[in-house]
This record gives sequence, C-alpha cells and structure tokens, in this order.
Amino acid sequence: MRKAIVLALFATFLVVGAMGAGAQAKLVDIDLWALGAVTEAGNPPDNWVGYQIIRDKLGINLHLVLEPSTPTDQDTKISVAAAANSLPDVFGVNRDMLMKIAKAGLVAQVDSLLPKMPMRTKIHYNDPVRTKLVQISGKMYGLPDPGAMDRVEGVVIRKDWLDKLGLKAPKTLDEFMAVAKAFTEKDPDGNGQNDTYGFGAFYESTGLSSAGFGRRFDCILGAFGVAGMWNLDSAAKFQFNFRDPNFRKAVEFIKRMNDEKVMDPTWSAPNKDEFRARWKQGKFGIMWEQFAALHTQANYKDFDKNFPNGEWVPIMPPVGPQAKSSNGIDIAQARIYAVSAKAMKAGKGDAIARLLEWMASDEGYYLCGFGVEGVNYKKDAKGFISFDGIAPELAYTHKSQQPITQLRNMVYINNDIELAVRYPTYKSQNGKTMDPLATWKFFKNSPYTESTGAGLIDPPSNANDFKRYYDENLIKFALGQQPLNDQTWADFMRGMDSLGAKDIEKAAKAKLIDAGLLD
Amino acid sequence: MKRIKSGEELRFQLATNLFLGLVLFIVILPLWRVLMLSVTPFRYVDRSFGLLINPSVWTFEAYSQFLSHPAFLHAFRNSLVITFGGVAISLFMTVPMAYAYSIRTLPGRKLLNAFAMIPFLFNPGLIPSYLVVTGLGLQDNLLAVMLPPAVGVANMFIMRNFFQEIPQDLKEAARVDGAGEFFILMRIIIPLSMPILLTIGLFYAVGHWNEFFTPLLYLNSAKLQPLPVLLRNILMAVNMNEYIEYDAFSSSSVQSLKAASIFITMVPMMMAYPWIQKHFVKGSLAGGIKG
Amino acid sequence: MLRNVRKHAVFYVMLALPVSYFLVFKYGPLVNAQIAFKDFSPLDGVWKSPWIGLGNFLTFFSSIYFWELLRNTIGLSLGKLLLGLPLAVILAIALNESALRRFRRIVQTITYLPHFLSWVVMYGVLLLLLSPDEGLLNAVIKAAGGQPIGFLYTPKWYPVVVILSDVWKEVGWSAIIYLAAITGIDPGLYEAAEVEGASRLQRIRFITLPGILDVVITIGLLRLGNVLDAGFHQIFVTYSVPVYSVGDIIDTWVYRQGVLDFQFSLATAVGLFKGCIGLALVLSFNRLAKRYTDSSLF
Repeated sequence: MRKAIVLALFATFLVVGAMGAGAQAKLVDIDLWALGAVTEAGNPPDNWVGYQIIRDKLGINLHLVLEPSTPTDQDTKISVAAAANSLPDVFGVNRDMLMKIAKAGLVAQVDSLLPKMPMRTKIHYNDPVRTKLVQISGKMYGLPDPGAMDRVEGVVIRKDWLDKLGLKAPKTLDEFMAVAKAFTEKDPDGNGQNDTYGFGAFYESTGLSSAGFGRRFDCILGAFGVAGMWNLDSAAKFQFNFRDPNFRKAVEFIKRMNDEKVMDPTWSAPNKDEFRARWKQGKFGIMWEQFAALHTQANYKDFDKNFPNGEWVPIMPPVGPQAKSSNGIDIAQARIYAVSAKAMKAGKGDAIARLLEWMASDEGYYLCGFGVEGVNYKKDAKGFISFDGIAPELAYTHKSQQPITQLRNMVYINNDIELAVRYPTYKSQNGKTMDPLATWKFFKNSPYTESTGAGLIDPPSNANDFKRYYDENLIKFALGQQPLNDQTWADFMRGMDSLGAKDIEKAAKAKLIDAGLLD
Repeated sequence: MKRIKSGEELRFQLATNLFLGLVLFIVILPLWRVLMLSVTPFRYVDRSFGLLINPSVWTFEAYSQFLSHPAFLHAFRNSLVITFGGVAISLFMTVPMAYAYSIRTLPGRKLLNAFAMIPFLFNPGLIPSYLVVTGLGLQDNLLAVMLPPAVGVANMFIMRNFFQEIPQDLKEAARVDGAGEFFILMRIIIPLSMPILLTIGLFYAVGHWNEFFTPLLYLNSAKLQPLPVLLRNILMAVNMNEYIEYDAFSSSSVQSLKAASIFITMVPMMMAYPWIQKHFVKGSLAGGIKG
Repeated sequence: MLRNVRKHAVFYVMLALPVSYFLVFKYGPLVNAQIAFKDFSPLDGVWKSPWIGLGNFLTFFSSIYFWELLRNTIGLSLGKLLLGLPLAVILAIALNESALRRFRRIVQTITYLPHFLSWVVMYGVLLLLLSPDEGLLNAVIKAAGGQPIGFLYTPKWYPVVVILSDVWKEVGWSAIIYLAAITGIDPGLYEAAEVEGASRLQRIRFITLPGILDVVITIGLLRLGNVLDAGFHQIFVTYSVPVYSVGDIIDTWVYRQGVLDFQFSLATAVGLFKGCIGLALVLSFNRLAKRYTDSSLF
C-alpha cells in the first residue's frame, strides 16, 4: 500500500515535471549582450527576481552576457562575432560598429518593432536626431536609447590658484594665455617649486571627427571658430576646417602655448590615466574635462585629499579675436541596442519588443534601474528615490548590490529622478558643497558647435593614412619639430589634397544634404 | 661550491658576479618601484620617486580591492584549470611530436619540417582562427582557450633540438635490448630532458596564465572568466571613470591598481620558478648517462 | 623507401595526434585565410565570398607610409634581436659560471620577473624613469646641468627606448632556455679542458658556446621568421603622434586601419605578406647557417 502511494506520488511528480518541461519549451530564448553599468561587478545572481518576472510574465528565457569594460574590447567582441555571423539576438553596440555590421547585412531593420512597444517608443525613441544616428537610407538599424548625456565636457580652472595670484577667470584668448603663463611661472600652489603648468591635456583622438590635436583642444580651436573636423554651418560653407585661414591661427596659438612652456609637456601622448592622475596631483590649472570624471565624489575625492582647499570650477571657453568661442562639438549621443538579422529571421522580434517594452514600464524601469522597492530603495509620491530606512548595505548604490542593477543603462532616460540619485550633491573635505549636476548644467549652457552631421560621415578607405598625415603634421607644427610658415603650411594643405581631401569633402557633403543635416 | 684556485679564477668570479650584480640592480630598480607603487596611498603617488616610502603609510587597499572581489577565487580557480590543463595538453602533444621530429632518419622529414614551419610563418589573423574555433562549437568552453595554442611551433623545434643532442648510442643500446620507441621516449628521453621539459612547460604555463585576449573572445559566461580577464575588467572599469556614478569598486589610484594586479598575477609564477630551477643542475644529462 | 617507412611506423603513430591538431587548428585558419584575396562577407561565409584578387594587399602596399612602416618594423625588430639574443646568452653563461649559488638563484629569479609586466604597466615604469619633468633619468640629467629630454616623445630617442625596454623586460626570460641548454653539456668536457690547463674564458669559448650553438641558431632563425612582428603591444601603448615617423609599425598601422573600418581581410593579407618575408629570411639564413656552422633549423 505504502509502496503504491509512493509510486503514485512519483508518477505525479513525473507528469508535473513533464508538464513543466513542456511549458518551458514555449519560452523564447533571448541572448542579450548588454553594456553593463558596472562591468567589473559581475552578472545579476541566478535568482535575480528580474529573470523570474521576465520568464513568467513575458515568456522569455533571458541569457545575459555583460560586454567587456572598454569600448575597444566591446568592439572586438562584437566585430568578431559579426564576422562569424554569430551575433547574439540583442546587443549593445556603438554607432560606428553598428553602421559597419549593418552594411554587411548582419543587423535587422527595427522599424517594425516600434509599433509593438508603443510606450518605449514614446519615451526612448522620440528624438529625430538620435533616430538619424541609426538610420541607413531612412530605415532604422538600431534602437537609440537616450541614456547618454550630451555636452558633458568643458573648460574648468583652479579657482584657488586664481585667488592666490589675484587673477580673474580668463574670458578672452589673451587672458587665457596670461593666466596660463601665471600658473606656470608664479608658483600658484605656493610650494616653492617651479612644477606647475597652465594648461593640461592629452591626445584624445579616435575617429576622423576628432582628428588633429584631439578633443581636449576643441576649446582653443573653438575660439578661432574651427572646433572639430568640419565646418557644418551651411552647405555653402561646408569644408574641412583646416582650409579656414583661422585654423592656421589656432595652430599657431597652440604652438605658442607649447613654445612658452605653459602646457604640460605630456599633452601629445594619448594617455588619459596619466592626464587624470596629473590634475589630481595639482600639475596644471586649466583643462577641458568631463563633469563626472571631475566632480563626482568617486573621482573628486583623490584631488580633495591632496588639496583640501583646491577648487576646480567651470568657466566659459575663451573668446577668440573674432568673438567666437566653443566648448567643443555637439554630436548627438545614444546608447544603441541592435537586433541581429538572425534573431529577426528566427521570429524573435516579438519577444524582443516585449522585453524592451517591459523595461520601459514602471515595473521594469524601477526594477532594472533601482532594484526592489522597499529593499534596495524607497520611492516618494513623485517617484523620486530615497534611502530612508534602507540598510546601507542593501541600498542599490552599495558595492554589494551593483549586480542587480547591471541593466540600468537600458532603462535610464536621464530624467530628474535618475540624475538626482546618480550624481548626488556631497560635501568635500573642507565642507564645500559639491554638485556635479551644476557643473553639467554650466557646460550645457556654454557655447558648443553643432556638429551632429560629423557623426554620419563615413571614413574614406585610406582613412588611416589620412588621419595620421593630418595629426602628425599639426602636432609637429605645434611642437616645433617642423617649421610653421607659408611654405610648409601650403605643403601640408597640398598633402591633404593628395590624400583625397577634396573627394572626401564631396562625398560627405552629398551624404549630409541627403540626410537633411546640411542646407 | 667550486673551489677558487687561482688569481685568474678569482678575477673571473669577481667579473662575473659584478656583471650579475649590475644586471640585478638594473632589473630590480623599476620592479621595486612598481612594488612600492602598489602600496602607496594615492596622495603620495608621483610626489617622490617612490623608492623609499615610509612603511607606516603603506596601504594594501589596491590588493584588497582585487582579492575581495566576489569573483576573485572563482577566476583564480579557472586560471589554474586553464593553466594546468593547457600545459598537460601541450606537453602531451609537443613531446611525441618533437621526438619524432628528432629522428634524423625519418622518411619525409623535410616535408614534416615544412608542415610545421608554414603555420609558424603565416599568421592568418583573428577571424580565420575564430571561425575554426567557433565552427567546432567551442565557444563558451574552456577548451577554446586551451586547445588552439596547444603546440607552439618554436617550442617544438627547441625541444627537438634538445632531443637530438641525446647521444645516439643510448637509444641504440635500448633498441638492442628490445625496447620499443614509446618505452625509449618514456624511460630514456623524458627523464634525461627534464630541464627542457620543465622550461617548455613553463613557457606554456606562463602563456596560458597571462592570456586575456582569447578568453575575452571565446568565453561569454562570467563563470568561466579567468583571472586576467577579471583583473582587466576591474582595471579598465576604473579607467573609464567618467561613467562611475557611485563609489563602488574604485577606491585606489589607477596606478596602484595596475601595480597590484601585476604582483597578483606574478606571485604564483614566481613561486613555481625556484622549483623548476632545482632541476637546472649542470650536467644533468651526462649524469643521467653515467647513472 | 617503403620498408624504411614501415620501419619508422611507430614515429608516425606518435605524430598522428599532433598532425591532426595541426590540420585543424593551424591549417584550418590558413584555409580560411583565403579571405585575404576576397571581399569577405560574413553572411556568405569564407567560401562563398567573392574573389577580388590582390585588392587587400594593394591597400597596404599603396599606403604612403608603406616603406616607412617596413623600415620601422624591421629596424626595431632586428635591434631587439641583435641586442637581446647575445645579452641573454651572456647572462645565461654568467649565471652558469657564478660560484655563488644563492646569489645566482636570486639573480635568475628576479631577472625573470619583468617578463610578467604587461606593457601597460611598463609604460608607467618608463614614465617614472624618463618623463621630462619628474623622470629619474631626467632628474640626473638636470642635476648634471643638462636640459631634460622627452625620451618618449622625441623621434631620435624613441627607438632606443623601445629596444632597450624590450631587452630589459625579456632578457632574463630568454636566458632560461640557454641555461637549460648549458645543463646538457657533458661535464667531462670541462674536466678534460681543465686538466689541459684551459682558462675559464677558453672553456666558455670552446666548450660552452659550441655546446649551445645549436639552440642559439634555432632560436635566432625562428625569431627571424617573425621579424615583421616588432612587438605590437609595446609600441601601441608607448607611441604617440610625434614619434609615428620612427615608431609606427605594420601591426599598429593595421590595427588603426581596422579600428576605422571593418577590414578583416586586410589584416589577413598583411599576415600573409609578413609570412612571405619571414619565409624568405628563414630559408636564406638557414642556408648560411648550414654553410658556416654545423647547425641549422632544418
């Protein structure tokens, strides 16, 4: 008898188990390669409540892989998977790489997915300029999330040094030079040693749109009206900026800064680490820096420890002889997720839309963005986040809780709820109130050069030689490794043309007019 | 200890050891600097040449940042599996191959040499290799990391050289006694070649231990991540610091973290080396013959 | 002939596994290397992509920097080989000759460690030594009344830095293999030489050096085969625009080209080109080695 019961029970288990397995078979498997928020923290745990909800409510079995930490490593992984035609179903990817693999036919058109996720489309994909970033011939090949912030960089200066030397923040280029000189020569940190510089930078240049001295010098080029690679003011004026006579004046200005030794001599080396270590160690007093890299607590604290009375404040970029100024070029930014052509072919489009739509719903937004309400955070009536009564080690911002919000960059839209909690105000060592968002807002209101079109220009086939020739000549002019006069400048321009500069301009112009970004 | 017999010998020893001392100094100075950097609190970085830092301000924050990472032990274990597994596979293939290549009378030897040299000279690049590995269905499998570099052509040729140096009479004598080639390989060649086997084994081990690129490409699951990938992810994430919103994992300077990551990877290999050195006894081959 | 093959059958059995491994993991990629001659499209796969002949090679050859790249690559690579290899041999011999056993072990272990430093870390070390405003070396120069030198940013100095830093990093590691070779020399030879009254240096010259010549030649030839690999990681993390003219090498050029475009065929084409040069060098130097010494690679 007992045996029979055991057998019956066993049989029941088997049947239930089989049914369970049957139900499981209906789940859609989705491989997602996500750009993790804190990659080194690792995946969400297997028992993360999000997996459960996605399985039960959406019928999706989510396989999550976090892409590596650096853009280069991410590109490598994506491009290699693309070359083997083994891209995951959904993946985060930068725009340049997206365009390349889309042209190879590996990425699905996603226009058809938008009606299937009305809420997300309304909140996330509502910006026509961002949409252009992912379009080829009017069709969308990626989903441009608004998570990336724009105008995040600008000129900042050591206010404590200005005060010590009794100087005012520079407004014009001449004042900029004078202050840089004083910072170099008048011992602004008062340590009795001649060990400071006026301006610090590094060579930050990857694609064609940041060729030349790199982005850190845009604030100086901008004073001459030639920030960035292109003049995108109008179709009539469209050309490479280096053809502008003011461009040579900008190069001459940078050369003067180099000759008079007011620049940190490492400016031509491509080392961001070194650059950041150096401002934290008080090597220079003016730079062009990203607001979060400068002013969030995680980054500022080292500087704060070294110089409790030091103070970096944003200033407007210097104004040049023709009353121009710019903090840099404005290119539309987006965090892009793409769907592989394979996944679409396999009929996974609906499931992908379901998943993304859920992430834009209140439930998905708060769960992926901030964790579990009442456990990892609290929410007030307006939806703002607080940690009142939350154990510090359970707050979603705590180190140990990082894995549960790895997908937050897929749901964030840069609303005030997020910004307030992402970039909180804090007190520095000497009691100053630090507000990173104030710095950002300052940059946002500073002059930038509209340059969205530059992101759409395809590099020529000899882009590498083209860029090297350009960068090398400009930097050698500035370093004095080659003389800068009418003769050498004309040679330089001729060299650019012999590498096809005119053809590149022609192709770029046609493309931009076609895309409606130039008229 | 050799006995020092004459003035000439004394001068020779003096010159030799002075030379070694000089080399040691040149090598140790930057290494020492890196070690100091790894224990230097951020505010002292670059303030001095860092060769002498007051031990009272030393901080092991950079080390603890790595060692306390929840995935550290797991990654360390993965690395051990890859290294030991990889070396075993490598030697299992390289030794018989090198032995066969060392037989001067082997018909088709020229062809075999070319067969090994061609892939050594012609590097087809990333994609052709990636297609082969994924074609075998090895992605997300530790074998994808261990198998492709299983035989290093240079290592194989070097090992072949050493096998060729082993006196022929020794093998002939064994063959006369009726020993098979596998027996000769196992009982004569391998015991006589311990220094080179250990050296090549070490080469393979270090290669696997340091490798981050192939794991990055082929291993998707966080659970399979070896140590270099984890260290790199931690390092690089700190590097990307404009994106860091919370004071999560970054509490040391990038320089200290880099320096500490080096010592964390170096220490296990450093401990293995003296053990290998013990087998570098002069004349071990000849000694083997006599015994 | 056939009987000879049958006699050696057991060796072919030993080769079976390694040869199959070679066929899959070394020749498989080489078969895929046909994309060097194709306009590779991932959707069509390796075999169905259209042939385009030498287009990918021409992209490389027609670079205005082609000759400069070749010169830099060979120059830096040979510099490392010609300085590094003899130094490693000398270090191995010195280690072997030293009578201070404990000291010898310490030197051996320490000199082997720099091999583990990644170039990213090495760059930090180089900055500490060479940076114009606070590098150790420039501090010495300044103390002696000289002008500081930006070693890493000056075309004149950059190649020197590349070669010396590579030798510094690898010399102890490379010496291991020569030490292993020295252990294989019959001590009886040394004893006999000693009896005949040969000096230390003579013993090194006539016993040690010939004893390891085989290995030296094998390694030298193998290194020559890869002479167009001048150390991508090293250059990539240490170079900067002002020293491109002396530091840009084939691999860094290919890398930059690849970053700007989705050009896998190009990298493969360049890999094959490098192989051709390597092959020519190995064959000719192998012949020279055969003629002037008893040793050769094959």
